[in-house]
Amino acid sequence: MKKILIANRGEIAVRVIRACRDMGIKTVAVFSECDRAALHVRLADEAWPVGPSAPRESYLRIDRIVDAATRSGADGVHPGYGFLAENEDFAAACRDAKLTFIGPSPEAIALMGSKTAARQVAIAAGVPVVPGTEQPLAEDVSDDEVLRIADGIGYPLMLKAVAGGGGKGMRMVAAAGELPAALRAARSEAQSAFGDGAVYLERRIQSPRHIEVQLLGDHHGTVVPFVERECSIQRRHQKVIEESPSLAVSVTQRRAMTSAAAAVARAVGYTNAGTIEFLLDADGSFYFLEMNTRLQVEHPVTEMVTGVDLVEWQIRIARGERLDLDPESMLTPKAHALECRIYAEDPDNGFLPSPGMIQGLRVPHGPGVRDDSGAYEGGEVPIFYDPMISKLITWGDSREHAIRRMRRALSEYEVRGIRTTIPFFQWILNDADFLASRFDTGFIDRKLGGSGRGPLYPAESSHEDLAAIAAAVHLFMQPPAHAATAATTSRWRAAARVEALR
Amino acid sequence: MIFEVAIGERVRTVGVVRKGAVLHVDLDGTIHVVEAQRVGESVLSMLIHRDGATDVPRSVDAAFAHAARTAQPAASGDLDVHLEGRTIPLQISPAGSFGRQKKAGAGGSASGPQRVTAPMPGKVVRVLVAAGDQVTARQGLVVVEAMKMENELRAARDGRVREVAVREGQSVDAGTVLLVVE
Repeated sequence: MKKILIANRGEIAVRVIRACRDMGIKTVAVFSECDRAALHVRLADEAWPVGPSAPRESYLRIDRIVDAATRSGADGVHPGYGFLAENEDFAAACRDAKLTFIGPSPEAIALMGSKTAARQVAIAAGVPVVPGTEQPLAEDVSDDEVLRIADGIGYPLMLKAVAGGGGKGMRMVAAAGELPAALRAARSEAQSAFGDGAVYLERRIQSPRHIEVQLLGDHHGTVVPFVERECSIQRRHQKVIEESPSLAVSVTQRRAMTSAAAAVARAVGYTNAGTIEFLLDADGSFYFLEMNTRLQVEHPVTEMVTGVDLVEWQIRIARGERLDLDPESMLTPKAHALECRIYAEDPDNGFLPSPGMIQGLRVPHGPGVRDDSGAYEGGEVPIFYDPMISKLITWGDSREHAIRRMRRALSEYEVRGIRTTIPFFQWILNDADFLASRFDTGFIDRKLGGSGRGPLYPAESSHEDLAAIAAAVHLFMQPPAHAATAATTSRWRAAARVEALR
Repeated sequence: MIFEVAIGERVRTVGVVRKGAVLHVDLDGTIHVVEAQRVGESVLSMLIHRDGATDVPRSVDAAFAHAARTAQPAASGDLDVHLEGRTIPLQISPAGSFGRQKKAGAGGSASGPQRVTAPMPGKVVRVLVAAGDQVTARQGLVVVEAMKMENELRAARDGRVREVAVREGQSVDAGTVLLVVE
């Protein structure tokens, strides 16, 4: 493989370009109109426009992306995550165009993309699943029929979209009376998000942890699972902090969960990078939840505790190399790692998106810190895409060590001109329950619900004093010419004149 | 020069004069001796001595940005100051002018109608109230979808919905008035 097209944008496109550079492989970026000057375009060797800013007119256009790959002479395509990463038609279109798709086969994507089919695979592989319906409930199944099935499973239960992901088309149902309304809402959400209104039912596990197992599979029958990731810190079913290893998983449980994950992958002849998600019950039992047939956002925490470059291995596997990682060593964490997903959202204002221009950026560095980002000074955070701008990863000898480094890194991180979720992380990284690793998947939503409405990480009066001094000195020292150009109102110009005459 | 700096509810008065190599900054009556160096256009390194204190130069690194606002559109004089791991939004203006503006603005925000506007381009997915409804502070009014997320816009205070200017499914630009609460 000599040249790879990256069918994505933002931080993950940058991440893949970096792995390609390390391997001496040429890179081809694709971009939508608003991403013309985005970091991934600027770092790549070539860049091809694929359409207007709306994703369905550019990054989701299989025809245009395959065309760009063919015309550029690329021999491989990396889909990143999101967009077309779990679209079997895209993987098949690449194969048809004689392009190596750096991911699993279209058949594996299709099979594991159906939640109910994936559950059946897990059951057949002897892996426990959350009790629930094994067949999808199509849109024409009556409320009465669903109620009857629900009675057999028991309440509370979860109603989930068969094609689901990211919390869309998912509802908790506490009692039978709530079911018809929840069913309507989940079906319509699933229909609009995935074009498929089919749902299924699962018993609700009270206070579970979300634990997942990264794995790699090569084309020679080898599957290697990695030490688990702890992903219970979620806001509205979206992961916001991930870590590895999990304090809730014992060495024995790790053996059991990673073996189960590998069994599921082997059962479908899985190749390339994938992740098996589990729910871990308070009593220590675990259940297969779903498989993600792609590289995941949180892959860096695994990289930092095992020393493996997962993207590099994705490429090596795609070109037919044998996985020669030592399986024992992949289950033995060499550090503790933590990742915070930094979003362009205002945590003190209901997490409203905060798109706009990044006027200034100070990125943390130093021991045990990694920033995987697509952000840059002067760059716009567009309104069209996911608002995640960066992933900040820290690691250390212990969880405490990694957390201390994360606090340090967050205090150095400045993204000026937009609001970000950095204060949210500064708040949660000082929470006693978080520090004690006492949490489940409902933790953040409960904490936010009970936190009142003040700022999560408030500035103290002494900070405000310093800010007032700094702002006054800033204006006082502003060169008059600058002040005049920067000024937007006559008051500013008046201030500049006063300063000039002083 | 004298400035007025509003942070949240509180307004501080800050006077700045040059004394040789340093600045004397009078913050609400307390003098701070500041040695300031610009680092590029939007970063300031300050060594701050409180007047009379001996030689304990506190190092404060401050960076500035035109304010990011998600709640309401930014006004001129709105700055974000980044220091010591915090982001502090403030409004600064030469002394005098701010008080007048504040007074004019205050009347509008305390008792006048609240115009709820779209913070960014998007689509109205749900309107949660109707004209004539009584609403309480922080009650959800309308849900706008943008950046793949549904965002609930809420009432700033108690009041009555005077007008709903949009309907569900409608696309809106940033700044579009969605409804008015009085």
